[in-house]
Amino acid sequence: MKTVMIILTAMLFSTALFAASDITVKGSDTMVILAQRWAEFYMEQNSDITIQVTGGGSGVGISALINGTTDICNASRPMKPSERDKLKQRYNSLGVEIKVAKDGLSVYLNDANPVAELSLDQVKQIYTGKITNWKQVGGNDAKIIVYGRENSSGTYVYFKDNVLGGADFTSTMQSMPGTAAVVNTVIKDKNAIGFGGAAYAVGIKYAKIKKTADSPAYEPTEENVKSGDYPISRFLYLYTRSKPTGDMKKYIDWILSAEGQAVVSKVGYFPVR
Amino acid sequence: MKSLKMFAVLLVLCVTGLSYSGTDSTQVVAERVAEIKGAVEGMNESMLEMKSTVDALKKIKVTGYLQAQYQTAESEGAKSFSGGDFPKTADNRLGVRRGRVKFTYDNTISQMVIQLDATEKGVGIKDAYLSFKDPWMQTFGLTAGVFDRPFGFEISYSSSSRETPERSRLFQTLFPGERDLGFKLDITPTKGLLQYFNFKGGLFAGNGVAAETDSKQDFIGRLGFQLPLTSVNLALDGGLSLYRGNVRLDDATKDANGNPVIYSTFKLDSPTSFATETAQFVERKYVGGDLQLYYDLPVIGGFSLRGEYIAGEQPGSKSASTFYKAGGGDIYLRNFSGYYLCYVQNVGSRNQFVAKYDSYDPNSDVAAGDFGKGNSKLGAADLKYDTMGLGWIYHWDANVKLVFYYDMVKNETTSAVKGFETDLKDDVFTFRVQYKF
Repeated sequence: MKTVMIILTAMLFSTALFAASDITVKGSDTMVILAQRWAEFYMEQNSDITIQVTGGGSGVGISALINGTTDICNASRPMKPSERDKLKQRYNSLGVEIKVAKDGLSVYLNDANPVAELSLDQVKQIYTGKITNWKQVGGNDAKIIVYGRENSSGTYVYFKDNVLGGADFTSTMQSMPGTAAVVNTVIKDKNAIGFGGAAYAVGIKYAKIKKTADSPAYEPTEENVKSGDYPISRFLYLYTRSKPTGDMKKYIDWILSAEGQAVVSKVGYFPVR
Repeated sequence: MKSLKMFAVLLVLCVTGLSYSGTDSTQVVAERVAEIKGAVEGMNESMLEMKSTVDALKKIKVTGYLQAQYQTAESEGAKSFSGGDFPKTADNRLGVRRGRVKFTYDNTISQMVIQLDATEKGVGIKDAYLSFKDPWMQTFGLTAGVFDRPFGFEISYSSSSRETPERSRLFQTLFPGERDLGFKLDITPTKGLLQYFNFKGGLFAGNGVAAETDSKQDFIGRLGFQLPLTSVNLALDGGLSLYRGNVRLDDATKDANGNPVIYSTFKLDSPTSFATETAQFVERKYVGGDLQLYYDLPVIGGFSLRGEYIAGEQPGSKSASTFYKAGGGDIYLRNFSGYYLCYVQNVGSRNQFVAKYDSYDPNSDVAAGDFGKGNSKLGAADLKYDTMGLGWIYHWDANVKLVFYYDMVKNETTSAVKGFETDLKDDVFTFRVQYKF
């Protein structure tokens, strides 16, 4: 038995920490361009650091954080209690949440679509399949082609919780693998509607959004998002398992610095500092 | 002039030709566009069809884990709660401790789950239940079938995630197999102050994974709270649990009136009381409290400190303090108590250190010196056990983990019970590899 104790003790001390020299970042597709720009700028100034950025969706990033396959998770929605429970179970930690940018979650329309503004309720009715023709919201007599994201996306979850009030998306919605794919589809189809981050809206137009049918409509501009007039704004987050230390802390501190926040504006989101 | 005419004719022919050619190519392009559009629409239809198939398949989830292990004990045939007693002629063994495969059909508001356990000992059912969640408030849930008893913390903490190879002796004795047959209501509010509280409780057959044997159901329930202080990365969870049930007496010793005799609580100050109570049913009563603290230590990693205490009245048999099963002969009703404390420290993202102390006193009314006194009927089933465990876990990747764990078991000693004059040689070292998917 003494031998066993010696082996156990040896195991206790010989299983050294596997400190990662690279930083891996995974998660939100909404944030993937932003995260890539951050990484590029930071690596230009710190050539000894390698930062690998991949997308996949907020849910995928959070799973990767729980599985230990990423150091930082990008998420366009807050972590769910069930995800925190998994993190708590495996790492005895609730995870560290860092708000790094703000986004006006935008409703995309084709440039040729005569509809310019929608109320939150109309958006909900369209995405739950109650409104199916553009003429019901003041547009052409044409079927609304509804595009959205896959359920691993944080944008999907945020939209479902905050715009649809938890209701299910219409079964006719076509799920796209990323925000860029949603935008590309809306560009090509004049009867299409999509949603995603404000930074992606190139070649299409934003629908101005009204809180209620009678209230004024607002575009997801920095001013409107910051003032709260634009009704579907959200934070973008970084999550780590524990309080960041070493190179990871330096990188996150830089993201929150004036330089890192300037990248947020360049990409098309809104800085938090 | 002639050549000018010729030039004009050629020009007309050329323009006409070009014009014909332009019309042709426009037609060709239009046909090609129509063809491509048709193909795209066809692909779109196929994609939608495939999507509906994939969406249907996504509702079926298959998960599982397998634990292969090597164990060595201090002596041959050691009695053990670290995966069961050792063979009489061996002090070490190889085995598959758990080989679980779980099939879930998840339709968002309803679920059906079947979990099997396949090891070298055979294949058995671990879970077989269906559950519903209210689609409106997402607060109420109903589960029916064979599933974990809603009592305390350790039962519902999956064996694949648990840092120690086995549950405490206390839980293994009170809730063998962890599951029972019944139904339960879950209340998990999601908004306001109530979101920090939850309740789960229901009625169960009370026999574990076995058929119902009497007409009375047992109530098992837990009122819990979760306090996540995310700004400081600290969480405090806990709960109070209750078990109120009955066991039926069929073949116990009968008194003069033909009623079964209960050998009561062994209170030595009233040694004649143990054979005076009679009943057809005997109550099974447990009360428990559990608390879990989680905190993230800078640089090192998160730690958790978990504790649980249970006390109550257990109807058992002369030779065992596990709950009495119909047909088990005479019934022995004991007041018991037990607890455990478990500390888990993450070291970086891959390593974990674990230390656990658990204590189980199956008969809290008596001390070691009481054994052998008068007509006490005390025996091996009344002896207290304390176990100290130390371990290290290495998470190889998202699927594989290695566990090194050493259990030091100390039993109450008494010369009045044969075989327990000294501490038994029943310490156990476990090396386990787990694959989870």
